Amino acid sequence: MRAKEWIKERFPIDYKKFIEINESIFIKEPIPVHMKKWLFAMGTTPFILLPIQIITGILLAFYFMPSPEMAHESVRHITEEVRMGFWIRGLHSWGANLMIIAIFLHMMRVFFTNAYRKPREINWIVGFVLLMLVLTISFTGYSLTYNQLSYWAMTVGTNLVKEIPLIGGFALELLRGGESIGTNTLTRFYTFHVWLLPLIIVLMMAIHIIVLRVHGVSEPEGYEKGYYAFYPTHFFKIILATLFLLSLLSLLAIIYPPGIGVPADPLNTPLHIKPEWYFYSVFLFLKFIPIKLGILITGIAVMGMVFWPFIEPFLSKDEKKRTIISYIIGALTILILIILTLIQTFTL
Amino acid sequence: MSNIKIQQWLIGIFSVLLIVTLMIVATVEVKKTQGHKAEIDIDKVSNQCIICHEKENIAVKQIDAWEESEHAVMGIGCNECHEAEKDDFDAQRCPESDFLIARHPTPKDCAECHEEQVNEFANSKHAHQFWLLKNADRAILENPIATRHGCEECHNIANMWPDGSVGECDVCHAKHSFDMAVARQPETCGECHVGPDHPHIEIYLESKHGNIFKALGNEWDMRYNTTKNEPIPIEAPVCVTCHMDGNEKQPMTHDVSARLATESQAPWSFRTVWDEEGLGSWEVKRERMESICNSCHAPSFVDMYLLTADLVNLQYNEIRRFFVYWTKKLTANGMIDRLKADGKYYSDPVLIGYDETPEVLMYHSWHHEGRRFRHGAEMMGADYTQWHGIWEIQHNMIEMLTWAAEHGDEEAQIWVDSNDPIKFAPYALYDIPGTAWGISAKANTTPYVYKYDDYWDRIKANVETAYNTGFLSEDQWNLWMKRYDNKEHYLGLKYEADVDSTWNFYKDRNDVDTEAFIKQAVNLELPGKSFYEGK
Repeated sequence: MRAKEWIKERFPIDYKKFIEINESIFIKEPIPVHMKKWLFAMGTTPFILLPIQIITGILLAFYFMPSPEMAHESVRHITEEVRMGFWIRGLHSWGANLMIIAIFLHMMRVFFTNAYRKPREINWIVGFVLLMLVLTISFTGYSLTYNQLSYWAMTVGTNLVKEIPLIGGFALELLRGGESIGTNTLTRFYTFHVWLLPLIIVLMMAIHIIVLRVHGVSEPEGYEKGYYAFYPTHFFKIILATLFLLSLLSLLAIIYPPGIGVPADPLNTPLHIKPEWYFYSVFLFLKFIPIKLGILITGIAVMGMVFWPFIEPFLSKDEKKRTIISYIIGALTILILIILTLIQTFTL
Repeated sequence: MSNIKIQQWLIGIFSVLLIVTLMIVATVEVKKTQGHKAEIDIDKVSNQCIICHEKENIAVKQIDAWEESEHAVMGIGCNECHEAEKDDFDAQRCPESDFLIARHPTPKDCAECHEEQVNEFANSKHAHQFWLLKNADRAILENPIATRHGCEECHNIANMWPDGSVGECDVCHAKHSFDMAVARQPETCGECHVGPDHPHIEIYLESKHGNIFKALGNEWDMRYNTTKNEPIPIEAPVCVTCHMDGNEKQPMTHDVSARLATESQAPWSFRTVWDEEGLGSWEVKRERMESICNSCHAPSFVDMYLLTADLVNLQYNEIRRFFVYWTKKLTANGMIDRLKADGKYYSDPVLIGYDETPEVLMYHSWHHEGRRFRHGAEMMGADYTQWHGIWEIQHNMIEMLTWAAEHGDEEAQIWVDSNDPIKFAPYALYDIPGTAWGISAKANTTPYVYKYDDYWDRIKANVETAYNTGFLSEDQWNLWMKRYDNKEHYLGLKYEADVDSTWNFYKDRNDVDTEAFIKQAVNLELPGKSFYEGK
């Protein structure tokens, strides 16, 4: 008890109030019964993966050196020489991939259960911004490995920025820190990847969760009504999900450890240049139509998705019809993305 | 169906679809980044070889090397190259198994997959048997045991195998990795193309090409593919870049003779006639080489550089003519003897002898100094054309004439007694106004021979003769004439007055230097006498 007293003296706050708040916000937070279904737990996965990415990322940053001369060599060093380096890097790399998959799944669940509808439109948009941020942080992270694949993916990726109307040229210069990819690009990407983007992601995720808690979890129609307390059932569900994700990540990191590839060679353009897989659908789409038009269409499609909660009410006044149209558009979008991605995967 | 069911089905189906798709994609992508270590899949026999060799610890490093090879990636194991038939000359039973294996995979075995390369090689001078056709000379001076680890080790590149195939691919493509980077490394060529008789690696490393290679070569990927008519990816050439590798216009070849227009190893320089039906005339071969040169250089530079090198070869022939004249004369006069065996002459006054000074001097002036003189000029090794080349040749000449005079030859005695500086050029000369590099406003005022009023007319007549006999092409003759017609410009003579102030600046500096060494060294008298003095 002495320790408790000691702390109380140093931090003279109202502990009863603290416990009350804690109980009302966390321990006894009423969770709708439908959340017992695993289907509704997918939003937790990116939340679990984020700290894993941060911890593994910090460990990798101990060894990584963001310069054209040393980037690939330090990745090789981490992978081949540092104790458990390949595992940490595997967790980080697979964690990034899983994060994107998890966000897609979570978004899909939200979409098909119409959880984005009034009054939760803003949280859909926040979520979408989070997806964009995660894609950007993955892109910058992939680029840091500085092998032939990632170097040329970085070239293709940043070249796309140039096509953005009005600000394209400036944005490209800002990203690359020069005319071509080099030292400045790497240090910029490194800065984005290791603190700027993580900071924004953590803030946005906090907003995402606060908005969620303020509204309470959306309760889809047709499920049994009722609530249960956050602790212990839901809390341990999250722990269980964490353990599962850690095991899955570890397994993937060991079975399919990410390789180091051939060092980047700016003078030697490979025959086939590709971005990372999560950009395949867009990349393939842009291959078939004029670049400016392609970027315009992609931009419109993305904006359509972002503002879907506001667009949807215009589709039909009848809610049932509106739901069906939404389902069809959602299903078609996912199918198109999957097909484009698969085609690009197996094309040279 | 209720809305919940629809939702559950939609989410269920697309979750599975998304997860499966994205996992497939991510896995394929991760595998791609692991490009270095491909899975090795070989047949059972080869697998057995590896298991036993590793267990018995026999040549295991060769297995390691093979594992890094493209062969391993392609599933080509031991058996594909080491498979033998019962009557094969190199068939042997593996002592630990009943496998019949070929002890020496020959070019015939390599040709099963690399037929084009083996054929190209067999058509090249690398495969030529000249070292056997001509080796009677050195074989008498050298001991047989020395040849085992001496001449044979290099000339095995043209090994004639009992199966009729010629060559030894692993001389350059070190087994068992057969790594392109090893074959491309200049030092690989330098294993043989080294030393006093043809210091090609030394010449290369002395050249600007070699210097760039030494400075930057460690950053180059020497495993590049050169068969696709793509630009040369390295900044400066290594040996194979010019002699074998392709560029946008030239195909890659294993025939090192395809681009050689001049035979400058032989006792006399001449335009190559090697495999004319397959490779075309010397001019076609020269075009091939120039096509590679032009990847980096302006054609006008290349033309001038190579014409000058050709004139060095022609000059060599005149020097050679001088040595042949004297060894023949001294032989005819009985001052030197020929070797005899079984009642027949064994040695040749113009080729071999070795036991008498003029013979050795003649031989070295061809086989060592004469080649260095020529090859240095062809590959930008100035020091080899100069100090290791012409300087030593001229000393051989002085030594030979002095020897002849001492042994009673009157003509030689007149030469020895002569005080005319022109005596050092007792043969016809070749020249060209200026160099490929630029205009030098003073350099051409110094050579002694330029005092002869008809110097350039004589030179022109010689060059014209070389053109008329086919050693020089029409383009080369025109280039020479262009220089001749504008020689005041190319020799820099018309600019001589323009550089007076620059010249005087250095002249003054030189006077200061001269004064300094006279004061510090020449006029120095030490008080302590030599201990030898008075003995």
